Amino acid sequence: MEEKQKTFKPLDPLLHSELRLAVMSILIGVNEADFVYIKSQTGATAGNLSVQLDKLSAAGYIEVEKTFKGKKTCTLCRVTDKGRNAFAEYVETLKQYLQIPKV
Amino acid sequence: METKNLTTESSLKIIAETMERSRMSIAKNSGRPLILWGCLVAVTSVIIYFLWSKTGSPLWNLLWFAMSIIGFICTIFLSQNSEKTPKNEVSRILGKTWMWFGLFTTGFYLLIWVAYFIMRACYPEASISVDLTLVITLMMGLCGVISGVVMKMKSVVACLVVATAISVVIALVVHGPAQILVFAVLGVLGLVVPGLILQGKVRNNNLAA
Repeated sequence: MEEKQKTFKPLDPLLHSELRLAVMSILIGVNEADFVYIKSQTGATAGNLSVQLDKLSAAGYIEVEKTFKGKKTCTLCRVTDKGRNAFAEYVETLKQYLQIPKV
Repeated sequence: METKNLTTESSLKIIAETMERSRMSIAKNSGRPLILWGCLVAVTSVIIYFLWSKTGSPLWNLLWFAMSIIGFICTIFLSQNSEKTPKNEVSRILGKTWMWFGLFTTGFYLLIWVAYFIMRACYPEASISVDLTLVITLMMGLCGVISGVVMKMKSVVACLVVATAISVVIALVVHGPAQILVFAVLGVLGLVVPGLILQGKVRNNNLAA
């Protein structure tokens, strides 16, 4: 009997990283979130988080907006349509790997 | 949290845990206003009951407007002193639901009072009978149940259903000043208890994280 070979799509390397995935998981559920909130939710250091946000932003997965809240600077992040699609595709691929049937 | 690569299982775990933690963090800010408004509603209804019983004047019901102003000021103070969390669809729906409940009940209340005084002036013999308590009880129960469903908290929905059922029965059976105590039941069972459940769940979630 010829066994049907299942081919898996590769996982998006940009999302397949602990911190970037956590950032995307936060942003996917909110309209926008500031740097301080993302930092507190992920427990990451400011430097590391900043680097990862830049990577996500360079890929077009998130938009980063620098504004002012009173006299303090405020970095707002929101997920783009491209990021939303990439995240959905990533989750679908993960399900394939884990053989979770589509709902 | 590091930038290390992951296994598929740990990826899904991170997505689920982060989303849940963020959801609970946002839900935390919904618990305190529920407790605040529940206490205000319960205390106000007890005060109105005593004053109405002593004086026989239903005009003491106007104290609800004073309560609304106090509650509004306290809510602003609470939001300024609580941890800033981003807005998501849940918090947006909750905010709009309760804002419209407030506007609708205030408008409805004013309309009934205006209609009452006009009718009294034009037709002194006519009698107007609108069970405001019952209407507001049902609306408050509905808004509470919507909140519980949106937050995906079955215990909150159950609390609201029980509180509304008890309040509706009391509102149908009891009349006069004592009927106003329905809001004390609804305030405690329908707002304070769900608020405490929400706070407890957030605290447990934070401890587990």
